Amino acid sequence: MFKSFANLHLIKKKAIFDFGNHIIGCMLSVKNLTKEFKNLIVVDNLSFEVSEGKIFGLLGPNGAGKTTTIRTILNIIRPSSGNIFFDGKPITTEFFNIIGYLPEERGLYKKSRVIDVIKYFAVLKNIQAKKAISLADEWLNKLDLWDLKEKKIEELSKGNQQKVQFITSVLHEPKLLILDEPFAGFDPINQEKIKELILSFVDQGKIIILSTHQMDTAEKLCSDIMLIDRGKEVCSGSLKEIKKQFGLNVVSVGFSGNISEIKNHPNVIDMNLYGNRAEIKLKEEVQQSEFLRSISQQYSINSFNPIDPSLHKIFIDVIQRNADIR
Amino acid sequence: MRKIFEVAKWEFVEKVKTRAFIISIIITPAIIIGFSMGPTLLSDNESNTTQAIGILDSTGVYFKPLSSELEEYKLDDGQPNYVAVNLYNKHKLFNELKLAGDSLVLTDELEGYLFISEDQHSLKYQFRGRSIGNFKDLKRFERSFNKIRTEIKLSGKGLSSELIKYINDKVELHPIKLEESGKESSANFLVVFFTSFILIMLLMMMILYSGGMLIRSLIEEKSNRLIEILVSSCSSDELLTGKILGLSALGLFQIIIWVVLAIALTGSSLIPADAFKNVAPMLIYFVLGFIFYTSIFVGAGSIASTEQEAQQLTSYISLILLFPIILVFSAVQNSDSFMLQLLSYIPFTTPSIMILRLNLQEVSPQEILITTLILIISIYITITVAAKIFKIGILSYGKRPSVREIFQWLKEK
Repeated sequence: MFKSFANLHLIKKKAIFDFGNHIIGCMLSVKNLTKEFKNLIVVDNLSFEVSEGKIFGLLGPNGAGKTTTIRTILNIIRPSSGNIFFDGKPITTEFFNIIGYLPEERGLYKKSRVIDVIKYFAVLKNIQAKKAISLADEWLNKLDLWDLKEKKIEELSKGNQQKVQFITSVLHEPKLLILDEPFAGFDPINQEKIKELILSFVDQGKIIILSTHQMDTAEKLCSDIMLIDRGKEVCSGSLKEIKKQFGLNVVSVGFSGNISEIKNHPNVIDMNLYGNRAEIKLKEEVQQSEFLRSISQQYSINSFNPIDPSLHKIFIDVIQRNADIR
Repeated sequence: MRKIFEVAKWEFVEKVKTRAFIISIIITPAIIIGFSMGPTLLSDNESNTTQAIGILDSTGVYFKPLSSELEEYKLDDGQPNYVAVNLYNKHKLFNELKLAGDSLVLTDELEGYLFISEDQHSLKYQFRGRSIGNFKDLKRFERSFNKIRTEIKLSGKGLSSELIKYINDKVELHPIKLEESGKESSANFLVVFFTSFILIMLLMMMILYSGGMLIRSLIEEKSNRLIEILVSSCSSDELLTGKILGLSALGLFQIIIWVVLAIALTGSSLIPADAFKNVAPMLIYFVLGFIFYTSIFVGAGSIASTEQEAQQLTSYISLILLFPIILVFSAVQNSDSFMLQLLSYIPFTTPSIMILRLNLQEVSPQEILITTLILIISIYITITVAAKIFKIGILSYGKRPSVREIFQWLKEK
């Protein structure tokens, strides 16, 4: 009654046209996605691809455009330009049933019973009521919520409410799972549990998009990441590539005796001393092995390790550098 | 289609289970019956006992015939409605008697008294009482007095009592409501007034109650972002249609319970059987009116993001809803007025005004058809507009959008 199909046809025509360029085996592909709100560009020409069994980290500071990107993938809002393909087809409302979504801000129908809420969201994803209940039982068992299934949501602890919400986002076995801050609000034990579950989804060949501020988690889970700031891509690629690209040339050196003179070495930018260990920041172009050779002749060096930069550090450095440029 | 059904089912089942709904089923009719039946019951009680009415007659001519005339009026149980008490005493001054009469009324020993005095130019006739609002009593006092006065005047001219009786034989006017179907019924002002009043109040309270409920649940879904999960599971149109259907089913369920309740009560004759004459068209207006306003609530509700904003919106809508209730009184007195005809064709007032008119007069089938069509077309338009506002409104949080912004939403595809 209310649908206008005109646009749908347009998108379909375009899709057939674009189909030739599509990379086979890649399941979700976002191409030149842009979203404007009243002349404000919230998402600016983003492109990325996520394939089966991979977790894609969509990272960025608050207000970077992560949620808007997610909403366009979910088909809640329409992009101003650009396309989103799932398995080679433009994403439409037909894909509702194979997408699972855990929004950042949580909440369920407080006055309703746990089992009813889970069932409702499952039937909205086209799961038969009977099957929904048996799946719900399975999941409630898995997450130690079995005893609470007849309780009202408001009677549950916050952590348990989160678990129920997690169940609602995965019960219908979605092929594409979008998780926005999935660990927020969980204690460390439950965080581990959720992490294990997410990793099991990887084995099942799901496509997972993870949006989070917790860089250590992203580092442990994601195979590919994209860092966005103010709607624009700042860096993207596999974790290794990014670390290589943005990692700083820092080494940790164990020594005996006095090495304070190293500070004046032509290749050193900065040095911090911690007792018998020093962290030395080298100039970008300097080879670490060359540097070791040059200092081991003068000083007694016990150990020499490159420091792997954490994603956390890269995140802060890159975003700050971005802000400085502005 | 299946998702629409699932949304409707959820909205219906989860709301039927709430304590608030169960309470409203009982409370709403109780309030309405209290409001509308209260005055009738009170005035009935009054005339069920014999009243002591004083007569202070300075002329000495009227007391006897007036008291016997008044005692002719009987109560339902055959007891006299009035007992006349003579307040005249030839040993006292007239002004003193008047003061004494007043104090008898003020101490509630008398319901009131009739005061008759005559000077050279005119005859004065007063009813002095604490309550002077009972038109039935006052009309009787006036009629009885004038009858006696005519008799006295005529016999003064030498007419025989037989002739006087012949002249004085007056006929009362009985209003009869005619209907094209050939039926006729005696129109009782109170019955017509209160049935119309009850029906419109019911419609209004139901709309306000479920509209308020709808807005509250929308705000809950918006504030905890449930709405995002919902619209990533089904389209916003499906969600909107499901919500309207679910809520309408809830409203219909409520009516059914009330109708059953009312029929049970009709047995005890508290609700006049007249109320159920035009059930079919009334039900249509009821349901269509309900859907019309519910879709307005959906559109309005999706703009609000706090409880206060919701309350504000609800009060605006209730103003439109309240308007016909104000009209009920004058409509009952003049059911042919142009204003009433006009309002029948304005969708905001169509349901309540048509329910009112169906109750007051015979409405032609053409008029029923046209107004129903207008209502259906209006529902289609409101739902289409509401769907567009809903689609964007449910995803915008924080500041309430301006009218200009909403117009922009309507233009968006």
